[in-house]
Amino acid sequence: MTMFLIKKADVGNIAQELSREYQIYGPMIEKGSGQTFFDRAQDLAEINLSAPIPSNPPKSVVFPQMERILSYEYDRAKNAVKMEPDYKIEPRALVGLRPCDLAGILCLDRFFMGQEFVDEVYLNHRKKMFIVTNTCVAPFKQCFCVCTDSGPAAGEGYDLNLTDLGKECLVEVGSEKGTALAAKLALKPANDSHLAMKKEKVDKSIAMFEGIAVDSKAWISRVMNRVTTGFVKEDVWEYVGDQCFECGACTFVCPSCSCFNIADVNNPECAGCADRLRTWDSCSYEGYSRMAGGHNPRKPVEDRRNKRFFCKLSYSQMKKYLRPGCVGCGRCAWVCPGDIGLPNVVTYVRREITR
Amino acid sequence: MSQVLNIQNGKIVTVPEVATIEEIRDEIREVKTFYLSIDNKEIWNNFKYKSGQFIMCTIFGAGEFAVSLPPSPENDRFHITVRTVGKVTSALHGLKPGDKVGLRGPFGNGFPFEEFKGKNLVYVAGGIGLIPLRSSIVHALQHKKDFGRVLVLHGARTPDDLMYKENIKEWQSFEGFETYITVDAPTPDWKGETGFVHTLFDKANLPVENTIAFVCGPPVMFNTVIGELLKRGLPDENIYSTLERHMKCGIGKCQHCAVGRTLVCTDGPVYTYRQIKTLGEEI
Repeated sequence: MTMFLIKKADVGNIAQELSREYQIYGPMIEKGSGQTFFDRAQDLAEINLSAPIPSNPPKSVVFPQMERILSYEYDRAKNAVKMEPDYKIEPRALVGLRPCDLAGILCLDRFFMGQEFVDEVYLNHRKKMFIVTNTCVAPFKQCFCVCTDSGPAAGEGYDLNLTDLGKECLVEVGSEKGTALAAKLALKPANDSHLAMKKEKVDKSIAMFEGIAVDSKAWISRVMNRVTTGFVKEDVWEYVGDQCFECGACTFVCPSCSCFNIADVNNPECAGCADRLRTWDSCSYEGYSRMAGGHNPRKPVEDRRNKRFFCKLSYSQMKKYLRPGCVGCGRCAWVCPGDIGLPNVVTYVRREITR
Repeated sequence: MSQVLNIQNGKIVTVPEVATIEEIRDEIREVKTFYLSIDNKEIWNNFKYKSGQFIMCTIFGAGEFAVSLPPSPENDRFHITVRTVGKVTSALHGLKPGDKVGLRGPFGNGFPFEEFKGKNLVYVAGGIGLIPLRSSIVHALQHKKDFGRVLVLHGARTPDDLMYKENIKEWQSFEGFETYITVDAPTPDWKGETGFVHTLFDKANLPVENTIAFVCGPPVMFNTVIGELLKRGLPDENIYSTLERHMKCGIGKCQHCAVGRTLVCTDGPVYTYRQIKTLGEEI
């Protein structure tokens, strides 16, 4: 693998160089609230690679919360239809992506592009994307990526990967696009000693989980068997369901949740014109599985809840997507008003096993 | 390989094909059949599908809905039979011949007809459950020599709710084709059978050996009929049904039609009862 070194003071040059071709997205600390958000940078200096994990995953850059996929016009007088696929996708660069969030994008990749049918809209987003990941040299409070094999260092899928080695950053190249960018920046080559330094940093980061990442633990491998074979007792799901407010927040902050709805919206200013929009949807909503006519095969909330955890934690998903649906970012636990983020649910299921 | 509208080299194209409504026929209350043709002649000439598959239909200005394909893949006019159940289907019912709609598909697996050769076929349909089975029934009729006995058992609430009355009359005239009809709530002039559809089993002398059963209808009817078939000794894997779900994309991405670990749009809509049992969800 090709590796380079960049002075920490010069790391901003990467975003600077990318901004010639790409819109730049990165983690930024919001003035006032002090919260970190992953958003489009108007000013590249705002991107803060040492900011805490962003409140929102970068999912929305590659899979927007609301997106037009088609527009059409039906002229009834002439009985003519004009239709065109309508998704304008700009080249975008994600700078300072955390490894868990990259794992989330890889989950979406496998799902949208890796099966019988390829999702064209997603594919177009993805083709025009540049990804710079940022190794987590220390975990945050809610992290549990060590339980889900998605951190603290990124393994694959990036164009460039940065690791803070103190005065300098190690830059690992993961793609041809990354090679080309590194060449433009005329970086100093790195050697195996720097890689060893990275390994030390990562090992230290893992060791820090016990002291710092105290909010969540999720021993997922143990739970998978139970969830897959259907041996989780009804009352566990009922308990989880009773706690659910059906707000959908867990699915919206999840880096790998991908369910969407499609709706045609008429344009009030043009008779017969409409846009076909696809928007995020959540399996916790009562209307999610309700059919026209009112029949709903998933009526009780616990039924809908266990479907989400089945989706994240089953062997069949593992077989399809090669990893659990959870990437260990801890955001669902963070936002859930009912305290049934994934780590807690894993605990409830495990408690039942060990009882 | 069936020709698929809007799917090229495994890549879905989001733009539907424009089709014209040629004719509209009333079936029963709230149910109409729409005869369609695809405007692009080249695509229209190559359009093929398997019985049991479904199509996504766009009503411009209202939205898109999933609908099963009732005509046989061979020698039949292309049509869809739709009940008004929501906003989009109501908008379709408001259209007239000559109006345009959009089509994407066909989607789903369809019935594995190759496996049915030499077997008896039993169709049990409750109400509009006959719509998704019609395609397969007509196909069996066209290839009668490939099968043993072919029985169609159709039950509805009232005589006015019986589907495809004209077609059933036609089917009855085919040699070796047996049709049995019943209603739950007869009108005074009703001369046929009364009772739920499974009460016809004895009258029809239902075959069990070497038999494939197709069951489609409302959930209550489904459970009763399956129970009765199993009691008579039909194995789970010989009972087929098509499931209905709320669908949006048709290609396994939106996940609205997830049932257990399968998706109705790509793994279904045709399932055997053996599969349905393991899905862990209501029908």
